[in-house]
Amino acid sequence: MKTHIETLKRHQFEVLWTHQQRANLIQIGIKAEQTLPVLTYLKTHTPFVQLTHYSAVDWIEDNEFQLTYTLTNPQTYEILMVCARIDREAATADSLHKLWPQAVTYEHEMGEMFGLKFPGSPRVGEPFNLEGWRDMPPMRRDFDTVKFVRDSIPERPGRQAINTRDYIGAEAGEKRLLHD
Amino acid sequence: MTERPLEKHTQLWVGPQHPGITGNMSVQIWVQGDTIQLGRTHVGYLHRGFEKLVERRKFIQAFPIVCRICVPEPDTNEYLLTAGLEELAGIEIPERAKWLRTLVLELARLAATVQALGGQAGTLGLGVVPNWTYTLRDYILDRFEELSGGRVYHMYIIYGGVRRDIPEGFFERLEGTLKTIEERLPALDNLIFDNAVFQKRTQGVGIVKPEWIDEMGISGPTARGCGRPIDIRRVDPYLVYPALDFDVITADGCDIWSRTLVRRGDIEQSIKIIRQIMRQIPDGPFCARLPNMLHWKIPTGQTYLRAEASRGEMGYYMVTDGSDKLRRMHVRGPSYVHGFSLLERMLPGLNIADLSATMVSMQTCPPEMER
Repeated sequence: MKTHIETLKRHQFEVLWTHQQRANLIQIGIKAEQTLPVLTYLKTHTPFVQLTHYSAVDWIEDNEFQLTYTLTNPQTYEILMVCARIDREAATADSLHKLWPQAVTYEHEMGEMFGLKFPGSPRVGEPFNLEGWRDMPPMRRDFDTVKFVRDSIPERPGRQAINTRDYIGAEAGEKRLLHD
Repeated sequence: MTERPLEKHTQLWVGPQHPGITGNMSVQIWVQGDTIQLGRTHVGYLHRGFEKLVERRKFIQAFPIVCRICVPEPDTNEYLLTAGLEELAGIEIPERAKWLRTLVLELARLAATVQALGGQAGTLGLGVVPNWTYTLRDYILDRFEELSGGRVYHMYIIYGGVRRDIPEGFFERLEGTLKTIEERLPALDNLIFDNAVFQKRTQGVGIVKPEWIDEMGISGPTARGCGRPIDIRRVDPYLVYPALDFDVITADGCDIWSRTLVRRGDIEQSIKIIRQIMRQIPDGPFCARLPNMLHWKIPTGQTYLRAEASRGEMGYYMVTDGSDKLRRMHVRGPSYVHGFSLLERMLPGLNIADLSATMVSMQTCPPEMER
């Protein structure tokens, strides 16, 4: 697997970092603008032809989104995880739907859940899970789930609520256990 | 077939409440006569925001959440969550715990496969078969109840190993359950595979082209029904599967019939694996010593871990940031590929009456698609 990473470097692709997570899983970091060329190269010139998984992580403290592309070599089942960071404000990345048709589903979901834009991707903008959603994309770190529930679900009059945090804390004999 | 429906068509919604739909999802189809021109999968009816919820909870609190991602087979989710976080935290589990985890995963696969076999027959009007297979599944759930206290959601696999050791006499009772299932298999074969209706409605129907497998990441019985021996237990082994003797069942028709044959073969293989575990399981501790779960922090890292569920490759992508909660978790179930891109590609040209059978043959599972 390391030879393929060396080949990437020889082809003028900038590999920012590499990390061997386990024997058959290597992670690499690349520049966002090289995402499409790198993935096209990997699909056409190496055995990593299968897009197994594709997702985003919100690094709000760095004002960036990380896009993670997990590629599998179907002969050896080695995994190459390619990571690229994009600006959180622009939130725009290259679409992979022409390379892998199933990328449409992942991009469709990320468009809704993170508010990411994939120009040219056929179904971004259509509802995936959330119909008529008007709030901030819910998987962003700054989306406040508690506030959303308080604002959108009215409290039933007469309902007695137990504060779970206090209850578990008292049972365990500790204070301020959860969410702190 | 066309990307857009023909001018003269009827638009239909199958589901979200429909006996031929797995769980709550809907398929929007455009039909001309009896033939589907175009189809779109719509989900969201079961979305409970599991991935968001685990970001706000401590690692130990994620358990009651992830098992609900798959109702018929929750244990794969428990295993992937624990194994992924153990990998990121650098925790080694005892040998006996590995065997017990494999036992539970295989029991869950067996229960889900038996259920799926009946479900497949049910989509073609063979109502007796699901009644029988649900009974067989219930016998397995009895063993789960004995082992974990829960019938559907078990939460038996926990960080560091498993929650408790097996109760006394468990293996004898489990052997009795396996024998009961084996005794019923010839009758099930007679009802399903010797049935002319089943043969006619499944052979040559719901074709998955072999070239789609690598292109789309198809796995499990859907890939093995095309003659490709893809089984994560063999190609990317985990737990004690390398020490176990089992066959990867394949068939080469690429149709519903082949996928059902693969599932039928999987039942025997799961029974074979469970018997080997009962014979070979070593003594020793069943759980490693762990830090206080209420203050457990895991260093920054990310991983992708996979296991073979009864439906195919189940994958968990997990990111930690040094805190006591997951930074991100994304579940890539087999249905995520089979239920959207593959199903939508298979629908054009299909007869409307074969929609349910085709969808069930891939065991599409809505909670896994929308999480």
